[in-house]
Amino acid sequence: MIAPAHSSDPSSSGSGEEQRAIRVRILRQDAPGQESYWERHVVPYEPNMNVISVLQRIAAGARAADGRPVAPVAWDCNCLEEVCGSCTMLINGATRMACSALVDRLLEDGEEIELRPMSKFPVVRDLVVDRRRLFRGLEKVKAWVPVDDSYDHGAGPRISPEEQEDAYPLSTCMSCGCCLEACPQYVKIEPVRRDGEAPEAFAERRQGAFDRGFVGAHAISQAMLFNSHPTGKMIADERLETLTAPGGIQMCGNAQNCVAVCPKGIPLTRSIARAGRSATLWAIKRLFDR
Amino acid sequence: MTRDETAADSFFTRHQFLIYRLFSLAGLLPVGAFLVVHLLTNSSILGGAESFQDRVDTIHGLGPLLVPVEIAFIFLPILFHAVVGFVIIAGGMPNVGSYPYAGNIRYTLQRASGMIAFAFIVWHLVHLHWLGAPFRGTALPGFDPHHASSTLAVAMASLGMNLLYAIGMLAAVYHFANGLWSLGITWGVWTSPAAMRRANWLSVGVGAVLALAGLGSLVGIRRIDVDSARALEERRGEARRMLEGGVPATPAAVSADVGT
Amino acid sequence: MAQPRVLVVGGGLAGLSATMRLAELGVAVDLISLVPVKRSHSVCAQGGINSVNALTRQQGDSEWKHFDDTVYGGDFLQHQPPVKEMADWGPRIIDLMDRLGVPFNRTPEGFRDQRRFGGTLYKRTAFAGATTGQQLLYALDEQVRRHEVAGRVKKWEFWDFLAPVLDGHGRCRGAICQDLVSMQFRSFAADAVILASGGCGLVFGRSTMSMACTGSAISRAYQHGAAYGNGEFIQVHPTAIPGADKLRLMSESARGEGGRVWVPRTPQDPRDPTTIPESERFYFLEDRYPKYKNLVPRDIATREIFDICVNEGLSVERDRPCVYLDLTHIPRQELDRKLHGILEIYEKFQGVDPRSVPMKIFPAVHYSMGGLWVDYQRSAGGGMEEGSPRNHQTTIPGLYAIGECDYQYHGANRLGANSLLSCIFSGLFCASGVIAGGEGASRTAAEEPARLFDSALRREQDRHEALLGRRGGGDNPYAIHQDLGALMTRVATVVRRNDQLAAAYDEVCTLEERWTRSAVSDTGNWTNQNVTFTKSLGDMFPLAKIILKGALLRDECRGAHFKPAFSVPGLSATDPVDRRREAEAWCDRFAANTERWLKSTVARPGADGHPQITYEDIDTSLIPPRPRLYGLVGADLIEEVWRERQASVAEGASRATVAAAAT
Repeated sequence: MIAPAHSSDPSSSGSGEEQRAIRVRILRQDAPGQESYWERHVVPYEPNMNVISVLQRIAAGARAADGRPVAPVAWDCNCLEEVCGSCTMLINGATRMACSALVDRLLEDGEEIELRPMSKFPVVRDLVVDRRRLFRGLEKVKAWVPVDDSYDHGAGPRISPEEQEDAYPLSTCMSCGCCLEACPQYVKIEPVRRDGEAPEAFAERRQGAFDRGFVGAHAISQAMLFNSHPTGKMIADERLETLTAPGGIQMCGNAQNCVAVCPKGIPLTRSIARAGRSATLWAIKRLFDR
Repeated sequence: MTRDETAADSFFTRHQFLIYRLFSLAGLLPVGAFLVVHLLTNSSILGGAESFQDRVDTIHGLGPLLVPVEIAFIFLPILFHAVVGFVIIAGGMPNVGSYPYAGNIRYTLQRASGMIAFAFIVWHLVHLHWLGAPFRGTALPGFDPHHASSTLAVAMASLGMNLLYAIGMLAAVYHFANGLWSLGITWGVWTSPAAMRRANWLSVGVGAVLALAGLGSLVGIRRIDVDSARALEERRGEARRMLEGGVPATPAAVSADVGT
Repeated sequence: MAQPRVLVVGGGLAGLSATMRLAELGVAVDLISLVPVKRSHSVCAQGGINSVNALTRQQGDSEWKHFDDTVYGGDFLQHQPPVKEMADWGPRIIDLMDRLGVPFNRTPEGFRDQRRFGGTLYKRTAFAGATTGQQLLYALDEQVRRHEVAGRVKKWEFWDFLAPVLDGHGRCRGAICQDLVSMQFRSFAADAVILASGGCGLVFGRSTMSMACTGSAISRAYQHGAAYGNGEFIQVHPTAIPGADKLRLMSESARGEGGRVWVPRTPQDPRDPTTIPESERFYFLEDRYPKYKNLVPRDIATREIFDICVNEGLSVERDRPCVYLDLTHIPRQELDRKLHGILEIYEKFQGVDPRSVPMKIFPAVHYSMGGLWVDYQRSAGGGMEEGSPRNHQTTIPGLYAIGECDYQYHGANRLGANSLLSCIFSGLFCASGVIAGGEGASRTAAEEPARLFDSALRREQDRHEALLGRRGGGDNPYAIHQDLGALMTRVATVVRRNDQLAAAYDEVCTLEERWTRSAVSDTGNWTNQNVTFTKSLGDMFPLAKIILKGALLRDECRGAHFKPAFSVPGLSATDPVDRRREAEAWCDRFAANTERWLKSTVARPGADGHPQITYEDIDTSLIPPRPRLYGLVGADLIEEVWRERQASVAEGASRATVAAAAT
């Protein structure tokens, strides 16, 4: 997104003490299909910085560490409060949100901060990746309550506090993609448009490729969220059909990285195990009902 | 790594869920169950040559049924489990370097142990099973079920062989025990984090028992005195031949021979 | 007639609810958004959503009282029929969101739980954990995704709205937009365009708003002729965590649970705050407001914190203004039980444990009450007429505005937990009128000649090329934005003074001039965030001018707009007669001020680049204006005098009616 930059008042750094600098190494890529390359940047240290503010300074400066003018580094962000899910990237090798990655903590690990784009999604530019496949997963599992319409039909179903406490954490999933990035079973799918291929044909082929790949922990968890909702469960079978289709729940390898990296602490493995149970019962039922 | 599938979905892709579930099931039944029986049977060697020979004779009591049973309930399931397993391994990208979490380490070890166990099983067949006889020649005498302890002790004489078996056996045990835990999640037997932790202790327990049984077998083999074992086996062989030849035997001799 | 087509700009609560309703009504919707709609700024709302409910109704609450609280909280600076309609719709909207699967907190019996928020006596606020906005947005996002799968909606994410396309009659027939990935331009023919692009916090540099809240879409509509209402009314939240990149909200509940606000008596005392003895701490809120202490109303807390840092120089830090919000005297266990969520936010973003170290906080720009001027049609019942094409239409026919980017519902000050309601309400409510408006046209937008769109598209392309073509040595747009933000924050937030506002207006003109000489450092045409930002920065200046000029001209205090030079003090006399006379004078002054200033500021783009300000009378026919007296000395007496006057006016009116009937 758009990247405003603010450095603190210049007088703040002129208090006589030596100016500390933050060294950053960024894996850049100008466009899809192009070679990636490392670029070093140096940013003056300020207290309480996070990776976003470092990137804002880099964008404003538009100069590499050696002073060479370079195009500003592109990255995704919006809320900067860790609720919108935009700014996922690999920071010092691991997936996380850039807004809640504090520079002081990162510098405890080493002298230099390393930033790379997510590796499981096609790079658009620099740290910006194309996460359409993630949202396609939500379409596939029908992650919605199938209401008749948006007119007034009175309140929704009664729900016990226990059910609400069960559902609420799942509903805080912000589609950041950390669970997918860390999942060893989730493999990058990056179809390339062929010569002479119509955009629509390409989009269809890409969607087909997405749909055969692993749907991922986030979508499985959303399917379980809606399969537990009194109205949502009216199409539970359709969701289970998707979860047992190619790329479904069977692709999970129980590495459980998803739950370990989830910035919102969503019990993803519980959702996966519940989906496994539902799928088991559903498959048996189908076997004998047919 | 990128994947760009355009061809019509293969049989494997279309039936992915069913195949993966059968794969998971096969790991428990019959392959896992066989592993348990096999290791516990082997551990009877700790009780000496006689007790071991009893167990071996029981298994071989199946007679002409043994080969079809082995093929149907052991070899084919293992082969199926292995083939699908290799497909799964090929489709994943272990990343334990970036995410060194316990679950991820176990995931990676599951794949590594599966591959080690499979290689070991192939070697194990070549080394000791009748299927491997054509590959063995005279240098490797193999395992003779009628001389169970003595032939085993000869085959397992070197320390290197013991080490090889220890590694292969532990890989198989880890693969089974951890697979048991994973299977419970796959099928939805344990779903909450607390239940997963409890199930984890179950799998640790199963793994510990099997590992002890397996290592115990190796110790037991080393304690076998080849000559006295052979003498015992010869005596029992004579008795068996007499039985098969229709020579009447005392009831005591029969009960001693069949054993339990 | 062909199937109507509507373009919705922005995918927050307002844009998504409009899209959902339009798709349901059979309209083809194009939804464009700067970010994937699920990442819109609405996710940041924490507290809840207001509505009368079964419980409060039995305690004497009603839609009317919610309506009254909203206009009183907004200092009467809003047309009352739309607000009444919104309050009437409240219960239906909560029920709808409940049906859509929002995980509202529950009572043991399974009903929706409610909490109490500022500005009301009733537990009107339904909430879902500490992420109500996120939960509401997701429910709507899911419904729109469902419509998208069914082919009724097409989403264009990472797209920027550049300009409305107007036909020869000045009617909006679509828009020119740009793909922020490929940087390609595209014209969208649309029978109506609905702007739901949110607030304009980035005009103030850092605020509690998201990075997409540039205000560029509304600025572009304004530059094409749409009027802008009440721009000077900007809500500042008293307690935010200053960050290098943004200011993050620290909920009022920290003070509610006993948090104390203080500064060291020695300016910029370098000691560890926990070692500073009580005698050397200045608990300025407790000192100045012995009755309310740390729980003074939001606007007062904001002003006092601002004052102690900016005017008295007692900020904790030298380089950035902040005060301590101290919870360290409260046992850790109690803090964890009551405030776990918000303390976690502080810890996560500051890397400091607020249970053992006082938090540093400062007020931050939070919400724009003002926005594009929009029309409405009053219904017979005093509400808004369902299905009227005038509802939410800007001064450009066919161009609508809803949500935070319209000026309709919150007047001079927004009540907590009312923004989510106004966004969803305006989105749902506007749909039928938007469709009716399209039906009046002689031909659909798709039938308009191609050259109408082509020439508009070429204009935007040229503007883009010109930006890319600016060559080296120019000013850095990020530095200009930093200067603009600092300036606006300094003069146009908490305390406003005419000399500063006038000087700032000139400075903004200088900054705008600098902007025309700025150069982009990326001249490529692929995901060029640099040029997109520079473009949106250029569109911040018209908004900054609207805010400054509106504030400069409005010589009074109203809601969030505070000018010390025009503040009316409370009563000082002790003698009852004198005091009574003072109260009468106070009410005279209030009545005169109402007569003079109870008007919406309406800005239109002037040919000279400066906003032309006019004033619009306000429909206060349902609830007569009365003084807002939070915490004022002598409030009781003033209120009494005012009520007597109102009663005599009413009596006079009824006597006149009787007399008229008799003749």
